[in-house]
Amino acid sequence: MYSEEFSEHRVVTPRPAPMARTIAATVASFIIPGLGHLLLGKVIRGAIIGGVIIVMFILGFAMEGHLYKPDPNEWLTWFFSFLDAGMGLPYLVAAIADWGVRITPEQASKVTFEYGNTFLCVAGALNILAAMDAYDIGIGRKS
Amino acid sequence: MTHFMAMVLFSLLVSVAFAALSSDHQTTPERVKYGLKVFAYFVGVGLIIAWVLYFLPL
Repeated sequence: MYSEEFSEHRVVTPRPAPMARTIAATVASFIIPGLGHLLLGKVIRGAIIGGVIIVMFILGFAMEGHLYKPDPNEWLTWFFSFLDAGMGLPYLVAAIADWGVRITPEQASKVTFEYGNTFLCVAGALNILAAMDAYDIGIGRKS
Repeated sequence: MTHFMAMVLFSLLVSVAFAALSSDHQTTPERVKYGLKVFAYFVGVGLIIAWVLYFLPL
């Protein structure tokens, strides 16, 4: 007779969090990277994800990268702006305060300039993935 | 910072994030193994592309 107790491949369905907490966690991911996971009790995962994204964001600026703003005359800037905006609040603050948005000729001539831009865009893209991950954990799709 | 250092740093950070966000790997050893594999792919493919570009008359 089959007994679930002795089965090696028992499927454990993750328990969903209340919807308000799920939404709060998803929004929190866009305020501080990793905060959404912390709110859902995934402390280590939140610390790792948040740490990686924040380090990438800081390194992007350290490498003389800049944040994009949508330019109606250059459609590609919309794509890069979308990725940068994935950082959420840090991008919003920087864009409003005009920090790291303008490019100087000296900055653009640096070897690491494009690396910096890539680090900033990927930090935003990873934060979008992190927010989606927090949402999936909240609704019980992932553990 | 050299190009190689920037590539390794990028690969390291992204592979750690991918390992943490992966839904197919549940246990820590599985995630570590997956992260190492992604890191190796990033650096390996980066070096292959670099050598291909080196021989191209650009």
